[in-house]
Amino acid sequence: MNMISCQHISKHFGEKVALDDVSVEIPAGKIFGLLGPNGAGKTTLIRIINRILVQNEGVVLFDGRPITREDVARIGYLPEERGLYRKMQVGDQAMYLARLKGMSASDASAELKRWFEKFGISSWWNKKVEELSKGMAQKVQFITTVVHRPSLLILDEPFSGFDPVNAQLIRDEILELGRQGATVMLSTHNMESVEELCDNIALIHKSRVVIAGSVGQIRRDYGRHYRSLEYTGKDLSAAAGVFEIISDEAKDNRRCALLNPVSGADNAALLDALLSQGVNILSFSETTARMNDIFISLVQS
Amino acid sequence: MNLHTIGVIISREYLNKVKKKSFLIITFLVPVLFAALTILPTLIMLFAKEEGKNILILDRSALVRAYMTDSDLARYTFCNGTEEADSLKAALPASGQDVLLVVTPAGDSLFDLKAESYSLKPLGEDLKKELQDRLRLAVKEKRIADYNIEGLPEIIENVDSDLSLRSFTLDRQGNETVSESGVFMTVSMLLGMMIFLFITLFSGGVMSSVIEEKSSRVVEVLISSVRATELMFGKIIGVALVALTQFFLWILLTGGLIGLAGGLLGKEFFAQGDMQAMLEMSGGSQTGILPAMPENSFAGDLMATLTSMPWGEIILCFFLFFLFGYLLYASLFAAIGSAVENEADTQQLQIPLTIPLMLGFFITVAAFKAPDSPIVWWGSMIPFTSPIVMLARLPFGVPVWEIVLSIVLLILTFLACAWASAKIYKVGILMFGKKGSFKDLWKWLQMK
Repeated sequence: MNMISCQHISKHFGEKVALDDVSVEIPAGKIFGLLGPNGAGKTTLIRIINRILVQNEGVVLFDGRPITREDVARIGYLPEERGLYRKMQVGDQAMYLARLKGMSASDASAELKRWFEKFGISSWWNKKVEELSKGMAQKVQFITTVVHRPSLLILDEPFSGFDPVNAQLIRDEILELGRQGATVMLSTHNMESVEELCDNIALIHKSRVVIAGSVGQIRRDYGRHYRSLEYTGKDLSAAAGVFEIISDEAKDNRRCALLNPVSGADNAALLDALLSQGVNILSFSETTARMNDIFISLVQS
Repeated sequence: MNLHTIGVIISREYLNKVKKKSFLIITFLVPVLFAALTILPTLIMLFAKEEGKNILILDRSALVRAYMTDSDLARYTFCNGTEEADSLKAALPASGQDVLLVVTPAGDSLFDLKAESYSLKPLGEDLKKELQDRLRLAVKEKRIADYNIEGLPEIIENVDSDLSLRSFTLDRQGNETVSESGVFMTVSMLLGMMIFLFITLFSGGVMSSVIEEKSSRVVEVLISSVRATELMFGKIIGVALVALTQFFLWILLTGGLIGLAGGLLGKEFFAQGDMQAMLEMSGGSQTGILPAMPENSFAGDLMATLTSMPWGEIILCFFLFFLFGYLLYASLFAAIGSAVENEADTQQLQIPLTIPLMLGFFITVAAFKAPDSPIVWWGSMIPFTSPIVMLARLPFGVPVWEIVLSIVLLILTFLACAWASAKIYKVGILMFGKKGSFKDLWKWLQMK
């Protein structure tokens, strides 16, 4: 079951095309990563799901039916450009945002107090936002994003602006909310956190989806062709014709190489060739590519 | 439209503005100023009287002595008439006298005088006037006497008149009401000015609030929860309620303060001073004229004029024209606010809005001088100036159909502008990083 299903979404601003026939599926209860270089159209897609913008073509399904105005109360949105009223008190402000999401005053107050306690920031309630540091304000904003128990969380660059300790706190909260059944859609440039958090991703480049699927599958798909080899002794000339040598460099007292099989070649053939030449193999494995490399190779090609 | 969220938006906007220090200060300061404006002329007249000056007169004409009797402004002392002016001048600083007045015959005519004053400090305007008036009177009466015609002084006395025009207005049934034009002018000017200030002040408030949300980036979270149009109109309504609250408090406090001052200063004195103050504010009368008029009937006329004004109509119209005039301008100012990220960038974009506002204000000046002129009529019909000009016209009486037509035009224009503004606002608030131009606004308006 998909929490969100974007089908053939197109959006243009005047002449400029922001999204071109984009389809994205976000499975319920999973953490989904929306990737792409700056200006690819991620924020536009996020705004369309939030109903801040209206697409020119295509439909967005929420829980299997076309999304309506009422559904946005079930979404928690943390925009990339964070912001709170600078002159307003933290508590008043959090109450305001929670009530705009449809919470009653008493419910909002109780939930917010619970979250403030959990984050250890109860003493900020009567402070003005302008008295807080950027990181402190981000914490408050994160709370206002999740306080109404949204079934879909949309987090645009959730870790930017946090120090490592607080970034870890937010990461744990995201995972916790995921365990409690919330669907999370996050957009980030931090590929390590994608590998760590995301079940599925879609990569948008130049207004189109370039690749989509589960993180494990994508890493296997893109890593399948490579073998990493650690060895000592003879050089790799024996492998020529069976594998293409991508890289081969000395590292400490051994050498590390990355090999790409010529079509039809299998691991046994390679190992035979190497062993027969007297290459001393220390380790041999199929690599799964790092998301970072996949991202760069897809965006640059 | 979601009533719950609009309610939440309105109450935040309202409370946020009302809790501000500036709101409290303005709320309490304006009535004080207003009351001061009403009471001050009286107080000034009461306390600002100069202590009488000592005036030494060297009269070589021997004509003026009878006319120079002590007054509030001056105590007169005469010299023998034989002293040298120069030695008197030299002795003045040590003499205890403030002014030396030298009166000498001038020219061929026997009864022409030359007068010069010497003082350590410049003469006050009032004292100068008193001296001049008395010297002129001396010459005038001397000349009249010199004609040696029997009964001439009495004749001249009779020729002078202190006529003043009493105005009445007639209704269709032929009932007449006293109408003092100074009162009309004052009320008309006050109404026009108040609505101009209100619209400028509170529409500007809406614009600042829009800019604040955009520049702090909080707007994106907001419109992920509510529609952009809900946010815009919630804000406009919230500020309107602030305006009404302030207006109400102003009336209450001003009334209270004036009442209090009246009680303290004594009723009769106060009533008189108040009217004088009103007349002075209208610019139609100078202090000198007032005592020349028969006091009782003038004050009576003033009250009669005030009570004869269609106050119910004026208050209702003030409310309606303020409300829709404010709504019209506030929605346009909101659209402009959405195009920029700081207040300084609005100057250019505001021009098309400030020009009609200023124009409306200037036309009101024409309105209380010539309430029936074509420019005033059109000004009170064209929606961008009508809230201001119509209010200034009201005290002079406006046919009901004209008022209704003007309000209908205003409401229709508001609806059209609100629709256009909402479209611009929706796009504008998400356009970060650059300052919108008129071209951009036009482009945003056409976006789907």
